[in-house]
Amino acid sequence: MQSVSESAAAGRPKTSITLMVNGQRHTLDVEPRWLLSDVLRHQLGLTGTHVGCEQGVCGSCTVLLDGQPQRSCLMFAVQAEGHDITTVEGLTPEQGLSPLQAAFERHHALQCGFCTPGMIVTVEALLRENADPDEETIREVLSGNICRCTGYQSIVAAVQDAARVRRESGAAKLEVAAKGQNEAAGGEQA
Amino acid sequence: MMQGPLKPQFTGARVTRLEDARLLRGRGRYLDDIDVPGTLHVAFVRSNRPAARIVSIDVEEALAVPGVYTVWTAEDCGITMYTERYDVGQPVLAKDEVRFVGEAVAAVFAEDRYVAEDAAERVRVVYHPLPPVLGFDEALSDEGRRVHAHRANLFHHTEHQTEGFAEAFASAPHRAQATFVTHRQTGVPMEPRGCMAQLDAATGRLTVYVSHQSPHQFRSQLTELLQMPENQIRVIVPEVGGAFGIKAMLYPEYLVVADAARRLGRPVKWVSDRTESLLADAHARDNRHEVEVAFDEEGRILAVRDHVFGDTGAYPFLGFPGAVGEAGWATSMLTGPYKIPHVSITVDCVFSNKAPEGAYRGVGGPVGAQVQEGIVDLVARHLGKDAADVRRVNFIRDEDFPYQTATGNVYDPGSYAESMEQALALIDYERFRREQAELRRQGRYLGIGICTFVEPSAGAESEAGSTPYEAASIRIEPTGTVTAALGLGPSGQGHETTMAQLIADQLGVDVKDVVVMHGDTDSAPFGGGTGGSRSGTIGGGAALRASQEMRQRLMKLAAHLLEAAEEDVELVDGHAQVKGVPARAYSVRDLARIAYTDVARLPEGMQPGLEVVVRYQPPLSTTYSNGTHVALVEVDTQTGFVRVLDYVVVNDCGRLINPMIVEGQIHGGVAQGIGSAFLEELRYDDSGQLVTTSLMDYLLPAATDVPRMRVTHIETPSANVGGFKGMGEGSLIAAPPALAGAVSDALAPFGVFVTEIPVHPQQILEWVQGRVHSA
Repeated sequence: MQSVSESAAAGRPKTSITLMVNGQRHTLDVEPRWLLSDVLRHQLGLTGTHVGCEQGVCGSCTVLLDGQPQRSCLMFAVQAEGHDITTVEGLTPEQGLSPLQAAFERHHALQCGFCTPGMIVTVEALLRENADPDEETIREVLSGNICRCTGYQSIVAAVQDAARVRRESGAAKLEVAAKGQNEAAGGEQA
Repeated sequence: MMQGPLKPQFTGARVTRLEDARLLRGRGRYLDDIDVPGTLHVAFVRSNRPAARIVSIDVEEALAVPGVYTVWTAEDCGITMYTERYDVGQPVLAKDEVRFVGEAVAAVFAEDRYVAEDAAERVRVVYHPLPPVLGFDEALSDEGRRVHAHRANLFHHTEHQTEGFAEAFASAPHRAQATFVTHRQTGVPMEPRGCMAQLDAATGRLTVYVSHQSPHQFRSQLTELLQMPENQIRVIVPEVGGAFGIKAMLYPEYLVVADAARRLGRPVKWVSDRTESLLADAHARDNRHEVEVAFDEEGRILAVRDHVFGDTGAYPFLGFPGAVGEAGWATSMLTGPYKIPHVSITVDCVFSNKAPEGAYRGVGGPVGAQVQEGIVDLVARHLGKDAADVRRVNFIRDEDFPYQTATGNVYDPGSYAESMEQALALIDYERFRREQAELRRQGRYLGIGICTFVEPSAGAESEAGSTPYEAASIRIEPTGTVTAALGLGPSGQGHETTMAQLIADQLGVDVKDVVVMHGDTDSAPFGGGTGGSRSGTIGGGAALRASQEMRQRLMKLAAHLLEAAEEDVELVDGHAQVKGVPARAYSVRDLARIAYTDVARLPEGMQPGLEVVVRYQPPLSTTYSNGTHVALVEVDTQTGFVRVLDYVVVNDCGRLINPMIVEGQIHGGVAQGIGSAFLEELRYDDSGQLVTTSLMDYLLPAATDVPRMRVTHIETPSANVGGFKGMGEGSLIAAPPALAGAVSDALAPFGVFVTEIPVHPQQILEWVQGRVHSA
């Protein structure tokens, strides 16, 4: 249930909302007009989500909303209640880099780094749905995220490499799992 | 005197960047990520008129908005950025008159940006409109109004003619003419500009955070305009999300923010939104070159006449009026890689009621290259010769270096012809020409464009100011790790990595043990910052010199401790050892400890500690990198769309510090070139309104617009330390002419010759529709 409070000094009503961000529950007082991007950055301190245009074009502010890429500058924080939000911080391991981030590093897929979190979020969603995207698909998906530094070439290469690594490690995990089952089965027989 | 390292382990290698982990993890700290409690947020009220007298400004209603702290107009903040040379000043908040749409008129300070913007809408400005001046012709005509009442619109006029030009031009067997136009464009870094300032509670000093390319230049400008002692100002440039020249300029908003922080005693922050960026970031290009070329039967170019018109907008940026920079670079480099003995150049730059022009990557380079390659293609077409052959006839050859151009530059050795031959081989030029003819018969229009560019780099003067040197300080800490600081202002170029590569090789340590600091005037030595493709070359030279000096110190100390001659000591893998005797060694860590804490063991006369500061000024006032871009495009004559099918680059920037980073710079520059050639245009309508104020109107290249590029390298070393040449701009210089030339080539059967960029699909349709092609 949402409660409405009035800030006496400001005369602007605030609403209490609960946001699920990177698996953590946050209860916040926000003005209904506050953008999700602003709330993530300035209320929750998740400054990895960048704001490049507030016009829904550049994609720097992309987050996942229930697993789907979403421009956080094009929605109000109050609209995000009841949804699972994932930012770049939520796609980053405690230590080091995720396999996708590591591929970006290997391929020099970033320069100034400003568009990079949006790229990581967008590509993570792509690779969860498509294990082996071809170059045309990758470019099509990336076309909603503007990078002014790299000319995209190294980003495309990083995505292809990350997809390969993911497939191979996925295959390896399956193999390990299958092997483990066989051994278990063999042990029973013996 | 100094020897290089025996085996450079990092220099020249594809070392992955030390910057990347924090950026990939979303932990980079950019300007807007700095949140200080109690900060006042600024929204500017901007002029919606291109030219008007300010009759009145009423701020009462804005002040009444809850959460508003105060509102400033020119009466509250009277700082003016004055350029003596042109006798023009730009008030940081418009005073009495506005001169372009987007000019800041008032500043609202409030508890958050939402409130500040609410209140900004309630500031009532009454304007008395004046007729705007919107182009060169209007600015120059007798009937045109003056943008600045006290002075003429024409503010910069130069003429340069080689001796014997008139005769060479008149006696040439052939002449042709064309008018080349590049429309207004701008850098559009993904991170908008921004500034935050606060007084340090303990010391009273003013700390100014700014997204900028040149921290020390910025501090110098603040010192002068705020009339504060330099040591009372600390400038900190945090992570910069792209800059491309536009962040080398001094902007009025920064002065308002800094002045407010010291006078209101509160932290103050302003971050541009994208509309403000397109309205009031430095604009660029917007010039016209009226060119005539004289040539002989072989296609040899004998003389070029160029009359340039440049529109710098309403005000000159301090130290860098964009139109003058554009025209200056374009005409200085007009002859490119060609032996053109005679030039006649006239430059006219005017004020207009458009946004001020400043630097954008390449400055006049892309425009000059468009003219330089345009005239070669024009000659080829007039004579019915192959465009590559006409280039071969005109190239400056190896035996000609050092070569003095008709415009007065002295080129150090490069690989002009070689780069083109390699690029043509990569794209299989001969085969393409055969296929092109066949495809035309099928109604498909493919074309190739060539640009062999020469990029002046590491010059004594650039948009980063006139600091012909760079400084590096290197300190080996008592535990043996290395901390370096440079006066550079990187925005994605990877200086923390490339400088560390150079230093690590000299000191025999791992690249990961070197921390390179920059961007804080309290820790970085005074330097020129980043711009004009100077950082790798001049900054790299400083890093090399400083680390060589430090190396000398280590060797001297080690020799003393090992009781060996200095010549017999080597630095290997973090150890100073007697050559070939790893058992007799001191680690750098041991040497550092001794240097700081066991100083009785130092040789006589050696100062304790391990710290050096070196300033390096290159022997060459400019070193010229070069290369060739070849673009292969297909033009769809039904839709007017151009697809880039293939793109090759052969690049020569001397010795490479990190090929991976160099290639990244090239890829990005080519992408910007695609934007410049086909997408990007800041359009003013007839009433002086900018109509491209979002990224839906000002189109940037997306992943689907940019082809896969193939890049190879030639290394013709510079005479500067390390053999480096700058390369940050060459790819944006070369790409637009290569792409425009490819469209001309594709549409040659229709008699199309592109002289104006960006080329829009509508134009292409107009050119081809109703015209029977002549193949």
